[in-house]
Amino acid sequence: MGSRQITEKSLVMLRSLPRLSLANIRDNPGSKHYPKRGRGQHSGDKHGAGNKGSGQRQNYMRLGYETGNNPFYLRMPHEPYYRGHHHRREYPPISLLEIQKLIDTNRIDITKPIDIASIVKSGLYRFFPDQKHFGINLTDEGVDLFATKINIEVQWASELVIAAIEKNGGVITTAYYDPHSLFLLKNPKKFFETGQAIPRRMIPPPDVIEYYTSAEKRGYLADPEKISQERLRLSQKYGYELPKLETDQYFNMLCERKDPRQIFYGLEPGWVVNLKDKCILKPRDEELLQFYAS
Amino acid sequence: MNICVRTKFIRSSLVSSLHRLSTTVPEIEQNDQVLIDDTEEFQAREAEVKKKRNKSRLSAAHFNLVNDRRPYEEPHCLAHLTVKYNRKMYGKYGVASGVNPSLCWPSRKEIEEKKEYEAVAFPYTIRQVMDAAAEKRREEQLRIEQRDIEVATKVAKLEQWKKELNDKVAKKAAEVQAAKQKKERLVEEVRRHFGFTLDPRDERFIEMLAKREKEQKKLEKQAKMEAKEKMMIAKLQQKNVELSEKS
Repeated sequence: MGSRQITEKSLVMLRSLPRLSLANIRDNPGSKHYPKRGRGQHSGDKHGAGNKGSGQRQNYMRLGYETGNNPFYLRMPHEPYYRGHHHRREYPPISLLEIQKLIDTNRIDITKPIDIASIVKSGLYRFFPDQKHFGINLTDEGVDLFATKINIEVQWASELVIAAIEKNGGVITTAYYDPHSLFLLKNPKKFFETGQAIPRRMIPPPDVIEYYTSAEKRGYLADPEKISQERLRLSQKYGYELPKLETDQYFNMLCERKDPRQIFYGLEPGWVVNLKDKCILKPRDEELLQFYAS
Repeated sequence: MNICVRTKFIRSSLVSSLHRLSTTVPEIEQNDQVLIDDTEEFQAREAEVKKKRNKSRLSAAHFNLVNDRRPYEEPHCLAHLTVKYNRKMYGKYGVASGVNPSLCWPSRKEIEEKKEYEAVAFPYTIRQVMDAAAEKRREEQLRIEQRDIEVATKVAKLEQWKKELNDKVAKKAAEVQAAKQKKERLVEEVRRHFGFTLDPRDERFIEMLAKREKEQKKLEKQAKMEAKEKMMIAKLQQKNVELSEKS
C-alpha cells in the first residue's frame, strides 16, 4: 500500500522535473572552448590576423610566390622539374590505412563499388577540384593492416597498393575524370538541383593516356583480358594466392565498372535526376541519344 | 465536394499549444474521420485564417522559400526568363514548379556548339592518342639505345687513348729533361774552364758559354757526318759484296 503511494508520488515528482535536454547539460570536462571573436573595444580589433597585407586579408599568395621578386625556386638557372609546376595535376593522397578506418567506422559501404564520390561523402577526404585536384592517390601506408574485400576506383595507385587490394580478394581500377565530372562527383546534390542532364566524361589528356590504358596500372581503358593476366602475374611476384572472383558471393558487385563516358554508378549520361520528385528522366529524342552515346 | 481530413492534424497546433507547458504526454486521440464541408464561403474563411496565422512578417517570396516552394510564380526580372533559372526551379522544386522538364536537355543549337567545342578540345580519339604515345616511347627508347652504343664504342677505345696520351706526355717530359741536362753540363764545363765559380750573368761567362755551345754543335755535326759516312761506306761495302757474290 505504502510502496504504491511512494511510486505514485515519485512519478508525479519526476513528471514535474525538467527534462534532460541540450539546454541543461554541462559540457564534457576538458572540452575545448574556442576563444570568442569579439566586436567590442579591445577584443575585436584585428581578431589576431595582424595588421595589413595577406595576413589580415587572409588572401595568401601561392606557394613560392614573392610578390614580383624573382622567386627563390626560379632563381637557380636550371631546375627543369619545376617547369609548369603550377599547372600540373594533383592527386591528394589517401592511404589504405585511412580507407580501412573509414570502412571500420561505417563511413563507406563496401557492399557497393567505392569511387571518389563515396570517399568524399565520408567527409574525411579534403578534395578541391578547383585547385587542380584530379582525384585520389591511394598510398601504401597501412598496407599490412588492410583486410577488406572492396571494389574501389581511384585515380592513382602504386603496384603495392594494387597487390594489397587484390590479395584480399578485391578489385581496383584507376580512372580519369575531367575537372567538370569531378565537381559533379564532389557534390552531386548541387548538380542535380541545377536541373541539368548528366554530362559525359571526357577522355584523358595525352600525357596520362599510357597510365589509364595500361593493364599493370589497372587502367579503366585497358583490355580486361590483359588485366586478368596482370592480376595473376602480380600475385606471383608478391607471392600470394589470387582469390577466385568467379566463385565469390559478391561476384556481381566486384565486376561492376563504369563506362568510360559514365560519371555516376547507375546513372548514364543524358539522364536528369530530380531529387524533389525522386525520379529520373531519360531522353528519348534520337539526336540527344546519339549525342550522349558518342 | 467533401474531403476526409483527420481531426488530429487540424487541431494539432491548438493541442500542442495547450500542452506546451505541461510535461505530461497528451492523451492520444482517436483517429476517427469527420466530414468537412467545402463551400466557397468556408474556403474564403480558411484563407483568411491562414493569412492571419502567418505572423512571420516574411515577404511572399521568402515565405515561399521557407515553406519549400518556388519563390516567384511570375517572373520578376530578366534572369527569371532564362533557361538556366527555369532548369534550377525544376531541379529544386520538381513538377510543382510548373516548368516543362524538356528544358533540362540542351537544344539542338547547344548540342552543335558542344560538338564543335569537343572537336577542337579533343581532336584525337583514344586510339590515336595511344598510338602517338607508343610512338613517342619507341623513339625515346631508340634514342637511348643509340646513345648507349655510342658510349660503349668510346669506352672500348678508352684504354688505347689513355696510353697514347701518357706516352705523349712522357716523351715531352724526357725531351725537356735531356735539354736541361745538356745545358747543365755546358755550364759545368765553362766553370771548370775558369777554375772558379763565376756569376752566370758575367760577360766572360756568357761569351765562353756561347763558344762552348758552338764547339758542341760543331762536334755534334761532325759526329753526324761521320755516322753518315760510315753508313755510306757500309752500304757501299755491302753493295761490293753483293756484286762480287753475283759475279
